[in-house]
Amino acid sequence: MQFHRAQTLDEALDLLGELGDDALVLAGGTDAVIQYLAGEIAPEAFVHIEGIEDLTTVSLNHRTTLGPLVTHRVLATDEVIGAVHPALAASARTVGGWQTQAVGTIGGNICNASPAADTVPPLLVADAYVTLASRRGRRRLALMDFFLDRRQTVMDPDEMLTAIDLDPLPRGSGEVYLKVGRRGAMEVALVGMAVRIGFAADGTVDSARIALCSVAPTPRRVPDAEKALIGSRLDGGVFDAAGEALRAAACPIDDARASASYRRRTLGGLLERAAIQCREAVTS
Amino acid sequence: MTVTVGTSAPRSDGDAKVSGAAVFGVDFSLPGMVYAQLLRSPVAAGRLMSIATGTAVSMDGVHAVVTAAEVPNERTGIVLFDMPLFATDYITYEGEPLAAVVAETPEIAKAALGAIEFEIEEQEPVATPEQALAPGARLVHPGWATFATMGNLEWPRDGNIVSETVADPGDVDAVFETADLVVEDVYGAPRQYQAYLEPKMALATYEAGRFTIHVSHQFPFNVRDRVAQTLGVPKSAVRVIGHHIGGAFGAKLDLGLEAYAAFLARRTGRPVKMVNTRQEDLLTAPCRENAVVKIRSAVDSAGKILALDVDVVFDSGAYAIDAPYLTSIPMFVFGSVYRVGTARVATRAVYTNTAPTGAFRGVSGTYLVFALERHMDHIANELGVNRRDYRLQALMDDGDEMLNGQILSDASILREAFEVLEERAPWAELGKDPLCGVGMAAAVWLTNPAPGQATVKLNEDGTLGVITAATDNGSGAVTMGVRQIAAEGLGLSADQVVVTMPDTDTAGYDAGSQGSRTTHVVGRAAFEATAEVKNSVLKTAATMLEAAEEDLVVEHGEVHVTGDRSSRVTLAEVAATAMFTEGPIAATGSYTTPIPAFNPTCATGMLLPTWPTPTYHLHIAEVEVDPVTGNVIVLRYLVAQEVGKTINPQGVAGQIQGGVAQGLGYALWERLDIEGGKYVQRSLETYGLPLAVDVPDVEAVLLQHEASAGPYGAKGVAEPPIVPVAGAIANAVADAIGRPIDKIPITPEAVLDALEG
Repeated sequence: MQFHRAQTLDEALDLLGELGDDALVLAGGTDAVIQYLAGEIAPEAFVHIEGIEDLTTVSLNHRTTLGPLVTHRVLATDEVIGAVHPALAASARTVGGWQTQAVGTIGGNICNASPAADTVPPLLVADAYVTLASRRGRRRLALMDFFLDRRQTVMDPDEMLTAIDLDPLPRGSGEVYLKVGRRGAMEVALVGMAVRIGFAADGTVDSARIALCSVAPTPRRVPDAEKALIGSRLDGGVFDAAGEALRAAACPIDDARASASYRRRTLGGLLERAAIQCREAVTS
Repeated sequence: MTVTVGTSAPRSDGDAKVSGAAVFGVDFSLPGMVYAQLLRSPVAAGRLMSIATGTAVSMDGVHAVVTAAEVPNERTGIVLFDMPLFATDYITYEGEPLAAVVAETPEIAKAALGAIEFEIEEQEPVATPEQALAPGARLVHPGWATFATMGNLEWPRDGNIVSETVADPGDVDAVFETADLVVEDVYGAPRQYQAYLEPKMALATYEAGRFTIHVSHQFPFNVRDRVAQTLGVPKSAVRVIGHHIGGAFGAKLDLGLEAYAAFLARRTGRPVKMVNTRQEDLLTAPCRENAVVKIRSAVDSAGKILALDVDVVFDSGAYAIDAPYLTSIPMFVFGSVYRVGTARVATRAVYTNTAPTGAFRGVSGTYLVFALERHMDHIANELGVNRRDYRLQALMDDGDEMLNGQILSDASILREAFEVLEERAPWAELGKDPLCGVGMAAAVWLTNPAPGQATVKLNEDGTLGVITAATDNGSGAVTMGVRQIAAEGLGLSADQVVVTMPDTDTAGYDAGSQGSRTTHVVGRAAFEATAEVKNSVLKTAATMLEAAEEDLVVEHGEVHVTGDRSSRVTLAEVAATAMFTEGPIAATGSYTTPIPAFNPTCATGMLLPTWPTPTYHLHIAEVEVDPVTGNVIVLRYLVAQEVGKTINPQGVAGQIQGGVAQGLGYALWERLDIEGGKYVQRSLETYGLPLAVDVPDVEAVLLQHEASAGPYGAKGVAEPPIVPVAGAIANAVADAIGRPIDKIPITPEAVLDALEG
């Protein structure tokens, strides 16, 4: 196995252009190294990009742009990011433990394409786009269209994620990330749910975005559940209908961590809890 | 007045462990060392048809490859001699060793393991105790009726039943006929992995006809004895040297890798090091046994328990290890806390095609107390009475007899525990909020009585050296307890005492760090040795000061005449003087707890007949359940624990906090499910140990009753705080959700099921 350390984006793209399929981009390595040691992946080469300073930047404008090497720890603790991306910050705080957060990156969390990627649902409710670069050029696409299947993405072998851009939380909206896990840290999400709701002055829901992880091969938005909330005041039977839509959209698995039926049965209650927290965030 | 006993003197290994300087077993190395690894069975049951090592042997850097055919492969054990080094014709569990490779590097060893060719005809495993006990079940060990035993003990070899303890006074069924109320329950408990930080290791050398084995092991003398037994050599041909232990919790009491390393060191002439991978360790550690407890009580109209009928079946896995001892434990748990009238207690340990189970802190007690205390809640709820009041009226009193006929002379200490926790946190005020609940569980636990020894010498600089094979498995029993006890004897501070690491060549026998025995038993030995050293000091000092021994005081590192500190000599001067008058000052103390009186006909198959130096425990838990996730949040946790005498308050607090944390893991998070004889959870990621963020600060009240034979009255402390936890938590969760909890761990699924009715 070869190990290449790229100091600039150009170096990294050159290496990927040469090595193509044989290479795996390594950032914090919190999942890739585990998979490598367990024999689940066997790349010919690692291209280590953690030292590329340009990819660690954060810019906050009408859209927020994050470099892929922004760590979970930065997302979890930076007060400015936390103010406009509270769900993303909350999700980063639930990744592994402090050690994993210190080296794990948002780009790694996305490109690893785990069904349980904690930061992806908050990105989805913020209408995130990703920019992919290669020696051949650049393209920008919706994060929703990035994932093909468990651990499969639309990225070509010579491509690398270079930026993520997303909508900050608008005024009058609240957002949360709720994670189901048995313990308070070090958990792979059994279910992860990000919810962003916009409220009219009279408290009516005028926009709703709901995204899930760990209930399907890829993280996903659930438009039917979103529609069920819009126009309501989060009362009546609204959560019954929305919960039903969530359960219909979920196709979780049974594994050593939890049963599929358990994952499914938490969805309705979780949405209700999330929606009410969104409202509290707006009114407080 | 004591000088160091009763203070939180720092542990002698603390700085080294925090800074990383401490050399644990896995860190230890020797020049010329080579590495061995085991080929382990990938299947739970089968016939080993062939094994070929030729390719592996011929690989560069491989020193040796051995199988059953090339080792002394007599079956050995601590009670029942059922375990060979390597599987021969049949395989009994996933992970059973089939062969070993010695190579220049761990990487070469691993590659060579992959080059061993073997053929297994897989069999349907006997995966559960129910399958093992079913009529016509295949025997896990077809020839086990002929296996030898320790001391030629004999017992029935019936089916897959490894051993059985039955107490049956004969009148139980008749009393049930007269009962106003019969309450019946079935409880289930899973395995629990000891999950220490340092996986099992051994490093062995062979020189001039003797083995030296470097270990991080709780019981170096057992390693000596078991390696000698396994390799067929005299005990004196084996020397065991202990290093810092990265946690053990009972899993490092019997042989692990030591006999393999010793054999391979002799075979290759090189120091041989072996370290389990984490997955090997998890798959093969002697976990706490899974068990099913059936319990039935006959209750009269006043609520009094007239008779108890208990049936316990636990899973010994593929080998017996200590199971023949453990079948005695239910008699003590069910007959030491509450008056239960006449009681029939039958316990069976059963062979299955799973990794052998063994000792884990609070052996068997964790699930037995869970069963008894859930059952007590059940009876109280049936009767419609307050659960705390119901326990108080049933508590045993001073002078009551346990089921083995042993008298509990100080049982009222437990009543005191109920009172002190009531003052701290009134029962009626706990668990009142929606989805909250409160539970309690009590226990009487033993202090292991097995023998130990300590030699104390006065150094010429006035400090003390303690030579003992007692091991500190991390609890502080040696680095705080024994050290402070020796210091106290001469009025020194703890940092003026150095205690050796274990070495079976240089120190007297020690029965290992198990059952909270070290502070009590070895502490007592050190106490007596130090008293003798003090006598020698007084004798020499009396001559030096021209005073009578009875007029002398030893304090602050010197000896002076009572009331006249100008007439004094330092301990250093005394030691130097004694060197050339009486000879060097040193003394050896030995101790083993006398066996309490008991009724030898109370049960059959009772290898552990008494419950020596009992201590008393009450735990109260307050919990909240999350109705969306089913998770349980522990809001508050209280412990009242009787310790005899506190030697080191910080040490005791740490053991209670740690024991409760480990008990919470067992009750709520840790999972080791078995499917087809194999563990479902195969890494720490899915196993689910408790984390600091999930465990509340435990509020502990220590009850001191200094009447015991231990040093300054100290009894065992470290083992029991895990014992009542699952009972207290399960009762609290059941209270919160208004439905019974009859299985641990209490999974979120089970909580949601119960909430949804």
